[in-house]
Amino acid sequence: MSDRILPTTVVGSYPKPEWLNYLIRECSEGSLPDGVMESAYFDSIKAVVKDHELAGVDILWDGEMRREEMTSYFAEHIDGFTIYGDVRVWGNNYYRKPSIVDELSYRDELTVSDYRNLRGLTEHDIKVPITGPYTIVDWSFNEYYRTKEDAVYALAEVINQELKALVKAGASFIQIDDPAISTHVDEIETARNSVEIATRGVKAYTGLHICYGDYSKLYPQILDFSVDQLDFELANKSFQDIAIFREHDFTKDIGFGCVDVHTGRIESVDEIKENIRKAFEIVEPKKVYVDPDCGLKLLSSQTAFQKLSNMCAAARELRGEL
Amino acid sequence: MNYTLSTIGSYPRPEWFRDYLRKQEGLQKDSRGVVDESYIKAVEEVLGEQRKAGIDLLTDGQLLWQNMLCHLCDNLEGFMLSGLIRYFDNNMYYQMPEAVGKVERKNSVIVDEYRAACSLEKNIKPVLSCYSLVDLSRDRFYGDEKEFLMDVAEAMNQEAKALTGAGASIIQVDEPSLLYADKEGVEVAGEALEVLTKGVDASFILATYFRDAKAIYPEVLDYPVNVLGLDFVEGFQENLRLIEEHPTGKIIQAGVVDGRTTRMEQPSGVREVIDSITELVSGEELFLSPNTGLEYLPYVKASEKMGVLSASVD
Repeated sequence: MSDRILPTTVVGSYPKPEWLNYLIRECSEGSLPDGVMESAYFDSIKAVVKDHELAGVDILWDGEMRREEMTSYFAEHIDGFTIYGDVRVWGNNYYRKPSIVDELSYRDELTVSDYRNLRGLTEHDIKVPITGPYTIVDWSFNEYYRTKEDAVYALAEVINQELKALVKAGASFIQIDDPAISTHVDEIETARNSVEIATRGVKAYTGLHICYGDYSKLYPQILDFSVDQLDFELANKSFQDIAIFREHDFTKDIGFGCVDVHTGRIESVDEIKENIRKAFEIVEPKKVYVDPDCGLKLLSSQTAFQKLSNMCAAARELRGEL
Repeated sequence: MNYTLSTIGSYPRPEWFRDYLRKQEGLQKDSRGVVDESYIKAVEEVLGEQRKAGIDLLTDGQLLWQNMLCHLCDNLEGFMLSGLIRYFDNNMYYQMPEAVGKVERKNSVIVDEYRAACSLEKNIKPVLSCYSLVDLSRDRFYGDEKEFLMDVAEAMNQEAKALTGAGASIIQVDEPSLLYADKEGVEVAGEALEVLTKGVDASFILATYFRDAKAIYPEVLDYPVNVLGLDFVEGFQENLRLIEEHPTGKIIQAGVVDGRTTRMEQPSGVREVIDSITELVSGEELFLSPNTGLEYLPYVKASEKMGVLSASVD
């Protein structure tokens, strides 16, 4: 998709500016005048774009300033979902867990206006991440469909409409985020079918992001998914999974997670270069997309920026050497 | 047949209490909540919801528990907590406990909470765990899983005695891991339960959930417990077969409504399930409950779920 070798990109999320988090809290208590949040989101996205450009990222996203998490953000805009309240994930962390209470159908756009907004802010290529139907259903209650499979396929049709709308708006690179796939490897066939439905007739370069989990249980079956690129978390597991991927011909492009998002330690340029070189044990350099393991949102802004800068510098230097 | 309605243990925290704890503890749970006025108010609400729904044997909702393991480990010597691990097939995670020293009980584990709840309601069953705690922990100290297990069982035995001292007459031991155990595990879990229950003047419930109980039959019938909790949502057919083939004098606590979905069962359908279990048990007593704790549900749905349970035996 990219005309540059070793294009750098992000998985999606980026730390929110402190002032934005402050305003989000104020807003939830209902003490902000109309329009403040809208302009705050807009300004924070501009700041993210500038950060990414300064760091040297080739393919951008907007840092997901509007998303607090990746399930209910979409479910709220799809007919058939309702949200009764929060459910705990761990400790004191909760999310608004949606319930499917009726037939799922497309109501309004999920990411198109975010894409359009970002298109107006940068000349760079853009990647649009959207949570996959399998993961949204896995993280929701199902009251309506007879089986989980039925619910996943119905939602895949909805996501398919959204992806087509994105392409119509000009998007050329779409990433499906499906972290739940690696938590139920026995349902990989359902997940595969859901991605096929979601991407059917979508004329764009597509990627599938899967973090966590044991990739040995997904590989090589994951190569059958109807996407152009598979994006993995590799740095966090010290690149142990490379051995798994070498067992079979890696027939897709790879999104190569080469920076650990679970530690505040900033990897040096040389270290990241070494990390990226490991990708060449699996595929040719022209099939490698360089990105962090996952979204950067849990890091501090400074750390996230430094990690991205070093990652981009590493890719630049490697390009010169290849 | 006498039906005793009960809950399994966990209950969603009231929203205000959740916010309160988050303010006290932050997002990362390093410290644990304490028994204070807010806690008592929250327990009162959760007990009220259970009473309103017609539950006979209540729980305190485990409102201070970070999850099913860490709260128990927190007050035992010998444990520390590490990275997040998925709790069975739930979209819920716990910090994996690691045994880094000899496990000992120097302070009370849940007695303070139990006492606080008892000041509001008499019919409360406190909840402990032993085999699952060890199974889902990592051993960095013992090098011998059985020794680790027996030390935990010993600590839980002391806790159980303290609970009876505080007035508990029925204690539940939650052991979902047992359903995934091999024969050796099932045997050693039985020995651990002997240690846990020894000299404790109370009835014991063994609660199992998340799948059928094939793995623990028939050995479980010799366990020193009075009530056997089985999950008739996830393991309906198999558990029916097991109780039919292995008649027992133990009371069955049947999990008959699904604690992990907001879909509400038809009470008539639940009634059919209850009837099919009733036909197969001896004795005049059957405990009925959701199959799991209710904290998998949003707050408003937890009470509705209990309502389905009680409507099914009305």
